[in-house]
Amino acid sequence: MGRQKKTEKEVWNKVKDLMEKKQIKLGPHWSFNLHNDPKRLAFVLSRYKFAAKMGAKNKKVLELGCSEGIGTPILSEFALSYLGVDMDSAAIRAAQRNWSDDNTTFINDDFLGKVYGAFDTVVSLDVVEHIMPSSENLFFETLYKNMSKDGVGIVGTPNVTSSSYASAPSQAGHVNLFDAERLKMMMDKIFHNVFIFGINDEIVHTGFAPMAHYLIAIGCYKKKRILS
Amino acid sequence: MKNKQERSRWEPVKDMMGKREVLIGQHLAHQFTKSPRRILHMMSYYKFAAKLIGKQKNVLDIGCGEGIGTWLLAVECGQANGIDTDSEAIGIGTNNWKDRRISFKCIDLFKMKKKNYDAVVNFDVIEHILPENTYRFFQKISDCLDHDGIAVIGTPNITSDQYASPITKAGHVNLYSGERLEEEMKKYFHHVFLFGANDEVVHTGFLPMAHYLIAVGCRKRKS
Repeated sequence: MGRQKKTEKEVWNKVKDLMEKKQIKLGPHWSFNLHNDPKRLAFVLSRYKFAAKMGAKNKKVLELGCSEGIGTPILSEFALSYLGVDMDSAAIRAAQRNWSDDNTTFINDDFLGKVYGAFDTVVSLDVVEHIMPSSENLFFETLYKNMSKDGVGIVGTPNVTSSSYASAPSQAGHVNLFDAERLKMMMDKIFHNVFIFGINDEIVHTGFAPMAHYLIAIGCYKKKRILS
Repeated sequence: MKNKQERSRWEPVKDMMGKREVLIGQHLAHQFTKSPRRILHMMSYYKFAAKLIGKQKNVLDIGCGEGIGTWLLAVECGQANGIDTDSEAIGIGTNNWKDRRISFKCIDLFKMKKKNYDAVVNFDVIEHILPENTYRFFQKISDCLDHDGIAVIGTPNITSDQYASPITKAGHVNLYSGERLEEEMKKYFHHVFLFGANDEVVHTGFLPMAHYLIAVGCRKRKS
């Protein structure tokens, strides 16, 4: 009995030896989320996974509004390079502390109107609902200008139809919520091809859009110029 | 008494439905009888395609069979043309769906002249095309599309072949893995998005475990 236990522990220790010794210290935002609503981690990561599957492998990826970089490991895993930008300096510090791979960089900056290069894939999740309606055109223009000719743009945001169920802190930050039609309309201004998906929990689908909790738009084949 | 009340409420519902009858032909009837869930799978693939294509689009459904999925495309996207080389199947489709949004033609894809479709849908066809002919096939699909048209191509995953029925296996001469389908599509399109499907659920999970593969190509390359 005792001998068996030891053997199993030995086996497990071997497994542990195969893992890196790295530890991750989450920043205040994700520490709060994990404490108060741990399931959030599941559905937020599922959005990143979907974005990564749609266009991160062997790509130059830019994330606009990366916060603490909770999606960075998924977006950068198979990417050529990853650049995350966020205006929250504490969040960027946490991101830099945790994700220091060679292909990963962070910039502390207000990205609106800025150009960081010509990227294959530009991802922005849970950002556009925090952008004032007066700046939303600038947001999509920024997406457009940071994309290579063959670029793919991925924008995710909570559905306006889900706002009545949102927590108080979520509601306080949301100044510009979209429904599927308006999100498609904005993306149509910069892309020839736009695909809208809905997400409920971790399930990405193409079901009846007003009942989707979250919306994610994939745009590709960028237009020669932005339609007004 | 109660039963009468319920029936009197049901009658007007029936009146609203009308007296239309849809005929299920030999091929679909075989599936409906032997493996009804396959109808469900197929319709879910068509639905997925329709959602990606969007509204007010003109869609070509290649290998439409009896056109049950073509009808879904017509309703959801606005306009659909179904083509197939099986004249019996086309006849059934033509009789079932008499509507200005849909049309059927018994014609070989290579004889198609129209070039500016918004979308081409093609389910369960490429696995029946000999590998040496796939080049012509994909090129022709690309030729049917407008510059911003999209192609939605579905085929069973090669990894699921071991579970396929003998009758299914007999027809498959060119099965694809996710990787090979993506590689093939990339020759004709700048952008390729790959999905897996298990049962009715379309997803982006680990591709070798997907029962079915759906590739979406857009921005066609200049040939």
